[in-house]
Amino acid sequence: MKTRFRVQGFIVLTIFLIFLSACSETKQVNVEATAEPAKEEFYVKATTNDAKAKKTLYIGIVNAPVTLNQINTQGSSASLAPINLLNDSLLDVTDTAQFIPKLAESIETQDKQTYRIKLKANAKWNDGNPFTTADVAFTLKLALHAKVESSFKLDFIEGLNDIGKLDEGKTELSGLKIIDPTTFEIKTKTPIDPLVFNERFGVKVNFLPEHILKDANPEQLSTNEYFQKPLVTIGPYKFANYEQGQFVEVTKNEKYYLDVPKIDTIFIKVHPAANLVAQLQTGEIQMNSLPVGLVPITDYDKVKGFENVNVTSAPASEPAEIFFNTEKLPDKKVRQAIAYALNRPLIVEQLLKGQAEIIDGGIPSSHPYFNKNIANYDYNPEKAKELLKEANWDPKRTITFIIPVGNKVREQAADILVQNLESVGIKVDVQKFDFPTLIDKVEKGEHDITIFTRDYYIEPSLYFTTYKSDDPESVIRFKNPLVDELIKKGEQEIIEEKRHEIYNQLQEVLHDEVATLAVYSEKRLQVVSKNVLVGKPLNLGTFNNVNQWDIETK
Amino acid sequence: MGHYIVRRLLISIPVFLGITLLNFLIMNMAPGNPVDMLINPNIPKELLEIKKELLGLNDPLYIQYVKWLGGFFRGELGYSFSSFAPVSQLIGARIGPTLLLAAASMLVGILIAVPVGVISAVKQNSKLDYVMTGLSFLGTSIPPFFLGLGFIYLVGIKLKWLPTGGMSTLGGSGSFGDILMHMILPVIVLGITIAGKKVRYVRASMLDVLHQDYLRTARAKGLSEFLVTNKHALRNALIPIITIIGAEIPLVLGGSIIIEQVFQWPGIGQLTMEAILSRDYPTLMGINLIAACVILLTNLFTDIVYSIVDPRIKYS
Repeated sequence: MKTRFRVQGFIVLTIFLIFLSACSETKQVNVEATAEPAKEEFYVKATTNDAKAKKTLYIGIVNAPVTLNQINTQGSSASLAPINLLNDSLLDVTDTAQFIPKLAESIETQDKQTYRIKLKANAKWNDGNPFTTADVAFTLKLALHAKVESSFKLDFIEGLNDIGKLDEGKTELSGLKIIDPTTFEIKTKTPIDPLVFNERFGVKVNFLPEHILKDANPEQLSTNEYFQKPLVTIGPYKFANYEQGQFVEVTKNEKYYLDVPKIDTIFIKVHPAANLVAQLQTGEIQMNSLPVGLVPITDYDKVKGFENVNVTSAPASEPAEIFFNTEKLPDKKVRQAIAYALNRPLIVEQLLKGQAEIIDGGIPSSHPYFNKNIANYDYNPEKAKELLKEANWDPKRTITFIIPVGNKVREQAADILVQNLESVGIKVDVQKFDFPTLIDKVEKGEHDITIFTRDYYIEPSLYFTTYKSDDPESVIRFKNPLVDELIKKGEQEIIEEKRHEIYNQLQEVLHDEVATLAVYSEKRLQVVSKNVLVGKPLNLGTFNNVNQWDIETK
Repeated sequence: MGHYIVRRLLISIPVFLGITLLNFLIMNMAPGNPVDMLINPNIPKELLEIKKELLGLNDPLYIQYVKWLGGFFRGELGYSFSSFAPVSQLIGARIGPTLLLAAASMLVGILIAVPVGVISAVKQNSKLDYVMTGLSFLGTSIPPFFLGLGFIYLVGIKLKWLPTGGMSTLGGSGSFGDILMHMILPVIVLGITIAGKKVRYVRASMLDVLHQDYLRTARAKGLSEFLVTNKHALRNALIPIITIIGAEIPLVLGGSIIIEQVFQWPGIGQLTMEAILSRDYPTLMGINLIAACVILLTNLFTDIVYSIVDPRIKYS
């Protein structure tokens, strides 16, 4: 008897433990549902007769958004998707790099040094409080506080130090002048191109609600509860739910100051790339997102065959670039030889199925400052061998090629590059690392060449900071007085035509020097379900008209 | 028994501290740090230095560890370096799904392995035995991610019977039935992997017992073959298996990392991957802590269950 009890006890205990963990799970779900009555109401509606009217959109993304903090995005492009749904900035940018007014009624300047911004009078937070210049002042003073981490790059504003912060102990920003509740002025240290102002201040500055955060301690701002659940924001959508690494759920802001959105709920779902394609096929997601929800180009034919989606290609995007360590490869003939040795047409045709473009410089071809007159280095292995001979290249020398893992297409392209180099007589030692390790190695200068992709910048000067000679830990360790001079001139020039001239010349010099070499600019795939009436993933400004987006309901 | 448990728990404390120290050191030896993720030619180096200072990354290692330990004794695990959410909250949200997945898979694994192993042993060298050992071999050798992708393709995409990932339907009710539907595929895959390994153990252990003299005695007394196998033999055969199952629990928790990736199950595995890739030290320390607890507790639990099943074992 006793032994039977023991065995039964063991079985009961095991089952109990399993149920315990199962119960704790269901409990968790219930708590969430009751903590947000609005959401529960929505579930009830969805299952009753109202189901037809509810519009829900599922967007697939590959990297998980790491934060919803609108003033500190941690350099995460994935985080921008939910942040841009929740927050409007003064201006939005379109995929053709045009600016459209959002919170700003107008931005005007006479001297390119004093910018007068008029806010829309009806702009309000999603709790109904008006959005005024007081919120602007509050946000700037807090985000630029010496002890606050923010992703704003506003070092051009008067009163900020070289790294774009208020000096320690300072709380007032001299370059900011509040005129009335809807008008304010920003004064810059020197005249700057309105393009720079529009991008860095107009598009990239998001605002914080003063009435919610006024008592927040700047030194502990990043861990403030608000940034985990930003309930009061000013975008077309408002925060509903966020499961880290899983999804972000937003619901429409009924009090939006522009046209109220047509789609009720948007989910941004995180998937590995393979599942992204599968879920587009099953209809579990209706759209991918750019640039972090890439449908692998290797799946192009497969996705084209799906009946439920439309597939288009975006204009060529930021290129994957080779960065040379010019300290280890000081002879430009060697770098030019490498440029001739690379069979980029093969990469574009075979690997990227023609969905890419070849350029040599890092500025995307759609960029207003792209120099169209530069002829690419052709694929010419003979010429490469010649140049190597002229440079007295030692065939026994092995170059170290450090490749970041994560982007499969880029890794495969890198493999082809390695074969190309070996066929012209350059030995290559390939090392693959995750990104933090790669940065560590590159900063120490352990590489000869490496490959990665830079962000897109409307402001052209940002493409050239890499080539300045004053950074000892720079990826390319490039030193050229003429380049330094042109970079400086370009940054200070505010007349557009002259700036074009300077940057064209700069791009020519850099092309000849080959400190970096673009390999391919991918035309990213835009896969959208056929039941989406308006809405599409774009390289730039995906959510600039999200309130006009619409989907069919069944 | 009570004394034994208390003593084991006390010994666990220094072991536990040792584990955290080792983890901390190894983690910090990896190249790169959380700030490296933000390296960008357009972010001034000075700003990154300020960030390092704010995160305490400029302190010597032992200070960083002592600070972490201090927080731990105050019941705080700190804040994630990437999302700035409290680590306890991050782990708290993930531990439930992982336990659910691991427990359900263990149960499925055992429910398959025990009967299959027993039948295989009783019918030793028959065709049935060969089929079963062959299948168990397949179960062990097919990588779980491959099996997972196969199931996703077949059951999820082609037949459209079950959802392909996640733990519940987004925008759905999150009801028990819904979670159950999402559980089926990952649990089957993990269950098969677990069962594959266990079948051979059960079979071997059972074969060992079946040749013992006391079973002949039992048969001689006129007991039915069913009772002999399932009561007298199985009970003794289970003893070594319990040890193996106990040792398997931490492995299942770790092994579910891959399954969680494949099925986007919102568990600790996914969190671990993200934390490693972003060098999110506080979150990694928190996860290591949980892992250490699980291993120490399952070892203790196994020993206790062992003494329940086998009365010959006495702890004092």
